[in-house]
Amino acid sequence: MRRTLVLFATLVLLWGLVSQVNHVLTDLRVYFFVGALFVTYAALMLPLRAGLTATLLGGLICDATTPVAFGTHTLLFAATHAVVFHLRDRLPREDTVGRIVITLLANLALFLVFSFIQIGRSPAPAAAWPRLIADLIASQVFLALIAPWFFAFQHRVLVLARVERENLA
Amino acid sequence: MSFRHLATTRPFVTLGLVVAAWFIVPLGVKAFMRASFFELTAPVTVAADYARVLQEYWSMRLHSNHELIEAGRDLARLNASYELAVSQNTELQAEIARLEGLLRLPSFTDYRFEHARVARRDFSGWWQRIVIRKGKTSGIPLDAPVVFTGGVVGKVTEVHATTAVVELITSPNLRLAGVVEGDTRPLSYQGGVNPTFGPAKGVVEQVPIDIFAGPGATKRLVTSGLGGVFPPGLTIGIITHVEPSADGLFKTGEVKLDERLGALTEVTVLVPLNPE
Repeated sequence: MRRTLVLFATLVLLWGLVSQVNHVLTDLRVYFFVGALFVTYAALMLPLRAGLTATLLGGLICDATTPVAFGTHTLLFAATHAVVFHLRDRLPREDTVGRIVITLLANLALFLVFSFIQIGRSPAPAAAWPRLIADLIASQVFLALIAPWFFAFQHRVLVLARVERENLA
Repeated sequence: MSFRHLATTRPFVTLGLVVAAWFIVPLGVKAFMRASFFELTAPVTVAADYARVLQEYWSMRLHSNHELIEAGRDLARLNASYELAVSQNTELQAEIARLEGLLRLPSFTDYRFEHARVARRDFSGWWQRIVIRKGKTSGIPLDAPVVFTGGVVGKVTEVHATTAVVELITSPNLRLAGVVEGDTRPLSYQGGVNPTFGPAKGVVEQVPIDIFAGPGATKRLVTSGLGGVFPPGLTIGIITHVEPSADGLFKTGEVKLDERLGALTEVTVLVPLNPE
């Protein structure tokens, strides 16, 4: 339980930081989507129940603060969590570069699925895609830059909360 | 073998249970969860905005006395012109009331102006909205129109305890009735085309075929007053061009929106004084 809450606290911090970055970037019309960061560490490093609960809570935060059908982020994050968890024994999950690649792939999938769900609302869906592709590229670059820090931060917080051992990362 | 099979399918079985549970949960519980999780994040948003205000305050402290004196002088001049405009406005309001009485016209809705600071801007390719630092405690109602010096900002779509969410006119989720300035026939406006590094744009549909707009002859699009949300005459944007629609009965066109919408820091909520 403590592990879940500690991880959830890091996700709230991530949400706060990314929303502030997006706030600053509104004038440039660029938007960072980092949904995979809400999932990857929990799916790669934690037991199923604790990790999935933290992921679901992170999804609920994203759902509550965006104008989407409630549960969209939550269920997409849960599905991503299940896939990554299923594959994690065959992935280089102890390696930072490996984790970043997994996060980038998960983010790409989440972004595309989310875009296909939301694009129907646009009055000109074809005209919306250039913007979405630009946002996707920007998001992936941003994600690659902050993912190492965020994974290290999550691990350090779990160690400080005494729910994780130092040598697990 | 069966244990191994169970271990590999466990995450998907759990996912299936989560999805099933999600669809069983009643809508009331989901609405409660949504409101609760929003309120959980509200202090983060508001605290970040307070930090920005503090930062602005300390950066302003660096201005010299000379700059402050100049700013005070400019403000005094502006105040003088605004005082004149206020007195003219009062006379016009009295005239409108007199004509409404004479012609027995229904009076326009009166509004109270609730100024609010923008705590968070959230502009993606999917939605465009802002969170303002006023909510139920300040009497902000749902669907209230929100304006700024450049015209319409959007309308309030969610009201929470101390914050409210405003859907912007740049958002594909917002549709409203407008008219070309000087014309009375309503047309449909919808936001949605927001190119990267460029100004936001919207689209107009059901434009009467005798209305023309092009690079040399743009038209100002204003609110029509229909629908009961926005008062008439507020600027939405500039129609930059129109072209015949597929059915040939109307035209469709593109609306250029105010670039300042991307950097809003203060907005005004129009709170109806006598809501129906």
